[in-house]
Amino acid sequence: MSTAPAKQFDPMPPPVVKTIAQRSLIVGAVFGIVAVILAIKSPDEFFRAYLLGFMAWLGVALGSMAILMIRHLTGGGWGVVIRRILGAAMRTVPLLAVLFIPMIVAVLQHRIYIWAKPLDQITDKHLREHLEDITKTYLTTSGFIWRAIFYFAIWNLLSFLLSHWSKQTDRAGARDNTDRFKAVSGPGLILYGFTISFAAVDWVMSLDPSWISTIFGLVVLIGEVLSAMCFAVIVERILYNYKPMSEMLTPDFVHDHGKWMLAFTMVWAYFNFSQWLIIWAGNLPSEITYYMRRLNGGWGYIGLFVVIFHFAVPFGILLSRPFKRDIRKLVWLASWMLLMRYVDLFWIIEPNFSKTLNITLADVVVPIAIGGFWLAYFFRNLGALPLLPVYDPSAIEVLHPAHHHPENA
Amino acid sequence: MKRDPIYGIMAEFDSAQALVDAAHTTHQAGYQKIDAYSPFPIEGLAEEIGFHFDEIPLTVLIGGIVGGLTGYLMQYWMSAVDYPLNIGGKPYHSWPAFIIITFEMTILFAGISAVLGMLAFNGLPMPYHPVFNVPRFSSASKDRFFLIVFSSDKKYDPAGTRKFLEALSPRSVSEVPS
Repeated sequence: MSTAPAKQFDPMPPPVVKTIAQRSLIVGAVFGIVAVILAIKSPDEFFRAYLLGFMAWLGVALGSMAILMIRHLTGGGWGVVIRRILGAAMRTVPLLAVLFIPMIVAVLQHRIYIWAKPLDQITDKHLREHLEDITKTYLTTSGFIWRAIFYFAIWNLLSFLLSHWSKQTDRAGARDNTDRFKAVSGPGLILYGFTISFAAVDWVMSLDPSWISTIFGLVVLIGEVLSAMCFAVIVERILYNYKPMSEMLTPDFVHDHGKWMLAFTMVWAYFNFSQWLIIWAGNLPSEITYYMRRLNGGWGYIGLFVVIFHFAVPFGILLSRPFKRDIRKLVWLASWMLLMRYVDLFWIIEPNFSKTLNITLADVVVPIAIGGFWLAYFFRNLGALPLLPVYDPSAIEVLHPAHHHPENA
Repeated sequence: MKRDPIYGIMAEFDSAQALVDAAHTTHQAGYQKIDAYSPFPIEGLAEEIGFHFDEIPLTVLIGGIVGGLTGYLMQYWMSAVDYPLNIGGKPYHSWPAFIIITFEMTILFAGISAVLGMLAFNGLPMPYHPVFNVPRFSSASKDRFFLIVFSSDKKYDPAGTRKFLEALSPRSVSEVPS
């Protein structure tokens, strides 16, 4: 089935997309040069910051893939209007696979991951005993690399299938791929849940190899989908100044995006509070260390800041219906939340390396450098395809919004 | 209390789109006290008749806050005042342990406020409603769409409003006795 697009509707993205891609590349290059200098001067600080930046931008890409798969399963105009934005973010997964190489270098050079060091270099006796077992079974250098290859293979495969079939629907008379999308998205979401949980354990939780939390994978997962929805809101706001987004984006769709932000913010708080409550109630030496680190030595201020400004205040604001329906207002909160995602990851990752609050130049520069390259690639992807798959059956939900055809309701 | 013998004037339409358009025109023409009836929910219709969403959200918010406070204070009173019990060596007033119940009570009170508030603001239960005095109105739950201008509206006048509604090309226009 194919739907004739509305008269004079040009779904191609505006030329401004290319300009932003170029400027992002310049930002990436400039900050990249500084990052390289920092990498030579103080490699340990560089790799910590690199992990932070990598996790932040990986979150936007994988979260976008997850939201896209949710849309394929549930349908809805809210998802069609941002489908190509999510798709462009998802198709940055190959770039992220390349950007992962420095993390392998970090492990090979015995940096940031304490389990990667030779055991006789570890002075803490308990930790050494603990590591004697786990570095033989799970936390091995080759295991770290092979598992990473496996995660990226799965993410790339999902991204390839979803975008390949989506591209097919960009010409008149193309076959309806809805069933294919559904067939991949169901298992794809489950695969995403498992792979990101293992990746979170490998890349972040293993920084403190004696600490365990079974909900940690979900904490990372929900942060990723929250980042992705906020990022989509920011991009749709930029595109709203131009055709075709100005014709596609209605307050009803923006309202739905705001509802998603509210839902993800609440689930983020739910997962984080669950982790905190279980560890606090158990009060076991092997678990409570995580929060002892993060609530003392000045880190506690960051923790409190995250509770108030990553949850309480955004939650209160997002309860407002008029706020959620106005893209010009919602974009500010979305930008703020994206910044708070960075602060949250900072609070998760950095206390592993210092007992007192410590922020380095690299913590700021390196995430911006990665972000510059990532955004350049994202906007390049965004410019490559129409902003709306007009010949896909789902496009009707954007081209002819429901209340013009209430008899179909 | 003396009631107006006429409750309003009601127009009957064939399709949801006709009703939405008619509601739009009527509201634009300056009629404030209007209502619409349809066999199924129609997206955007509430906005067209100038419906405001203020009361229910406020009721739910107040309900939620009252519920949260009730939940927290109830636990504080039980655990720290009425029957202090040492659990795992933790302080009597251990706020993390109270959060779940506080949250659940917030949801419970907010949910109950939503239902009761909805009933109250709709004036339910309502054993008598004048619109049913119009025989044709029974098809509002089948396949017809109705728009009513209440006689309490400032712009209402029996002849003029009837003429206005007739200009919207309805299927029929009837006066609704109260």
